[in-house]
Amino acid sequence: MYEFVTGPLAWLSFGIFFIGLLYRLVWYIRGLNWQMDRVTYSVNVAYGIRGALRSIFFWLVPFGTHSWRFYPGFTILVFVFHICLLATPIFLMGHNVLLLERFGFSLPTLPEGLADVMTLAVIVAAVFIILRRIALPEVRILTKPYDFLVLAIAVAPFLTGFLAYHQVGSYDFWIVAHVLSGEIMLVAIPFTKLSHFLLFFLSRAQLGMDYGIKRGGMKNKGMAW
Amino acid sequence: MPEGILCNKQVVDTKEKLNALLADKSGKQYYAEMKLLDVDTKALWATLEKTCRSRLRTWLEICAHCGMCADSCYFYLANDKDPKQVPSYKIQSTLGEIIKRKGKVDNDFMRMVMDTAWSKCSCCNRCATYCPFGIDMGVMLGYVRGLCFAQGFVPWELKIGSGMHRIYNAQMDITTEDWVDTCEWMAEEYEEDWPGLEIPVDKENADIIYTVNAREPKHYPEDLAEAAILFHLAGENWTVPSQGWEETSLAMFAGDWGACKIQVESVYAAMDRLKPKRMVVTECGHAYRATVIEGPYWAGLKSGKTPVESFHYVEWVAEALRTGKLKIDPAKRIKEPVTYQDSCNYVRNAGLGDCAREIMSYVAEDFREMRPCREHNFCCGGGGGLNGIGLYRQQRNTALKVKRDQILATGAKMVVAPCHNCWDAIRDLEEVYKIGIRWTFLKPMLLGMVEVPEHFKPQEE
Amino acid sequence: MFKKILFATTASPACDNAAKVAFDLEMKWDAELCVFHVLGVPSRGFSSFVTDVRTGENEQIDPDYVDWVTEEMKNTYADLLKDSENSTLEAVIGVPHREILRKARADNVDLIIMGAHTRDEDIGAARYRSVVGSTMQKVAKSARCPVVIISRPCTTCWKLFSNIVVGTDFSKPATSSFLWAARLAKEVNARLHLFHAVDIHASEPGKVKGQAEIEAHIEAARKKIDAKYLSQLKGFDNYEIGIREGTPYVEILKFAREKQADLIVMAHHTREIDPELALLGSTVEQVVLRSSCPVASVNHPDKAIAEKS
Ligand code: SF4
Ligand code: SF4
Ligand code: SF4
Repeated sequence: MYEFVTGPLAWLSFGIFFIGLLYRLVWYIRGLNWQMDRVTYSVNVAYGIRGALRSIFFWLVPFGTHSWRFYPGFTILVFVFHICLLATPIFLMGHNVLLLERFGFSLPTLPEGLADVMTLAVIVAAVFIILRRIALPEVRILTKPYDFLVLAIAVAPFLTGFLAYHQVGSYDFWIVAHVLSGEIMLVAIPFTKLSHFLLFFLSRAQLGMDYGIKRGGMKNKGMAW
Repeated sequence: MPEGILCNKQVVDTKEKLNALLADKSGKQYYAEMKLLDVDTKALWATLEKTCRSRLRTWLEICAHCGMCADSCYFYLANDKDPKQVPSYKIQSTLGEIIKRKGKVDNDFMRMVMDTAWSKCSCCNRCATYCPFGIDMGVMLGYVRGLCFAQGFVPWELKIGSGMHRIYNAQMDITTEDWVDTCEWMAEEYEEDWPGLEIPVDKENADIIYTVNAREPKHYPEDLAEAAILFHLAGENWTVPSQGWEETSLAMFAGDWGACKIQVESVYAAMDRLKPKRMVVTECGHAYRATVIEGPYWAGLKSGKTPVESFHYVEWVAEALRTGKLKIDPAKRIKEPVTYQDSCNYVRNAGLGDCAREIMSYVAEDFREMRPCREHNFCCGGGGGLNGIGLYRQQRNTALKVKRDQILATGAKMVVAPCHNCWDAIRDLEEVYKIGIRWTFLKPMLLGMVEVPEHFKPQEE
Repeated sequence: MFKKILFATTASPACDNAAKVAFDLEMKWDAELCVFHVLGVPSRGFSSFVTDVRTGENEQIDPDYVDWVTEEMKNTYADLLKDSENSTLEAVIGVPHREILRKARADNVDLIIMGAHTRDEDIGAARYRSVVGSTMQKVAKSARCPVVIISRPCTTCWKLFSNIVVGTDFSKPATSSFLWAARLAKEVNARLHLFHAVDIHASEPGKVKGQAEIEAHIEAARKKIDAKYLSQLKGFDNYEIGIREGTPYVEILKFAREKQADLIVMAHHTREIDPELALLGSTVEQVVLRSSCPVASVNHPDKAIAEKS
């Protein structure tokens, strides 16, 4: 079983992940239309690029925008969640060992204890995100079961991985569950809201170009995000 | 009855249709007919398939339902944090739902959509600057307005307004003769106090072509005279076009994209005809947005720019003060605390916040910023056409609360509001809430404080 | 002399006296009379609401409302309309002074008649007075034709006027008012009183002029009147000259009373005063409020000289 999920199934899910994202990228860009979106994407390009980069950059910096500063608590939650979610699997010792075994290279790795804390951080942040969803009326009204599902897909690999690592119950079971849930996540990325993995950058770039080209970018120092 | 006599899917493009609408008291019959109007679900879906493309669909899809846009919207704040006023909810429950149902929505639903698009959003685009994904609910609700308009679900006043643009190339019934005559009249009336004052019509190759808001010639021609006096004092070589002088666009508020195109093309035609060096637009926010920012796209100008470079009035004033074309008498600067209403349309959505600050630095001694301000200001409460819609008067009055509290917090008794709709909203908020403030456009304020060199004054005999 | 008359009304008791004069003039001079009412002030931005001029309430305007106001005007002036032969009623939306000026210009009227409010105790008088007051100022300043303001019942028919007082400060507009007064005096055979007040406070506020200085001023004024005006009377000799010292509006009122004036004619020389700030502050308005006879404000030469026909 382990062989299967880490072998052909892994290839398949990575394949779907990359091809799906590529499709998303192409679909997004081809769907842009200068006249309907009212942004001259291919004219005034320098302003567009500047706008896009600014728009992405400030939003990647914790507390880098008015909005991040307005919601400090949630901002911490979001950044902790996302940084840990992305960094932990990539720099995890175990994953890199696998990488070395199969492909002959590896990335720098995180100390085990830190990785553990980061995994926990993802889980705890997710719990708070769920609580926030339920507690705040303005978020509750937006919330659909789908939102919980997406969150579950994203957090499942961490939960299972954590349990497997600490050998709670059957290691064999949790490790397969871990790999499977990881693959589910990969496959889900192009097809669900998790596509914001890529689309965050595209959407931000688009609005950045809008502000950079049309809504004042040619007359001022750039939008104060 | 699928199509009403007054409320239907057709555009208003004849005087007969327009007059029939105008004769309907407060749109009574119009709204009664709207209740029976059929939704052409096929056409609706066809439009969506064609025009709701990757940008909008992505926005709808990736919205994390995080609610970070909630507090950005003044409707949400003014309505005691009613969750139904969260921008994301407003768009998901309208456009999101229409797409989910593949356009198969009924009359009740469309009327709910209309209420949302016009009475719960003024397309101020503030939410876009608070959403981590850059989801612009203002843009989307503007798009929804277009869908509603095509289906005939549009507030009565805006159906009339867009019809005016189609018939008169202006938001009000002003003919070319009326306009030219008004220019002559104002020059006549004021030349005694300002010898040599002119309002040159259709002068070719002028440095500035000046364009206005139709409400100025219609009801407040002094505004035109004041602009003329300031140009005269600044020594500008300027002109107004006999046709294509109207900058505003109720068609934009209405979502009548066809009329938007007709309207801005009339202005661009004037530019092509008279070949001025640049255009200056009167103190109107949405006019600038419509004709300078969005207009080139409606007209299909690939550069995304107007045929000649265009400036908002605040840009011209800032420049005139900077270069010394206009000089402020230091003794006449405003001493009392004064604040400035940033218009969403030319500040957040056109980046002119600095000009406003520059002007205030010349004219005011105790300038106080509202919080938040500049690109992050709140809409006055009457934008997007909301000021003028009788049906939504109550919603508008509630929405004014946010601006009221902002102004009160500055402690200023005077608000400089260089935008017709902001000016109106602030006036109305004083009327509704009586907080004891005054408000002004730039022109009358500047006229009261500029230095007038001797040779501009009338000679006593 | 009066072929077209514009009676700008607020369709309220304040205008009753003015209305009588307006209709009377229409008949005596065979003129066309337009009874004109501006009913609602629109806002600056996009809106179909207007502020009702009388109540201050917000109203949504439609043709019905305008018709209803016109109907109401008909009732208000029913008695006067009965005998009238050549009058029309018109109600429009706009800023009052602007629409009055627009109409006067479009129809090239010879005279604008307005009523003024003088009693404070009336309901809404303060608000009302400020609307009417600033309207009056703005109309008087910019109208090309004379503007007659009537605040009290007018006992003498215009054709029977026997004394017309024209006050001058020697400004350019004052010349127009003199010419028009002279023209009217000739036409109705009235005595023309040329009047000037030496303003004792004018030069330096707080400092009262000495007697000798005042004498000199009076002498100079007399010379000026001779030079500027008498030559233009061309044979008309039913005039007299009066020069006083004091506060101009007080002096002209006293003078008019003494001479039993039927009409005071003067120019509106308040360029420096912002009508919004100086409500009822100008000389003209002080005179209007206190005068027992009508006051005509003439500032432009257009109607001052008889048209050559
Ligand atoms: S802030 Fe953006 S992502 Fe969050 S709910 Fe609002 S629109 Fe959706
Ligand atoms: S555009 Fe403005 S009014 Fe509309 S939802 Fe966004 S913040 Fe609210
Ligand atoms: S009326 Fe003024 S504040 Fe309101 S949306 Fe328009 S520009 Fe913004």
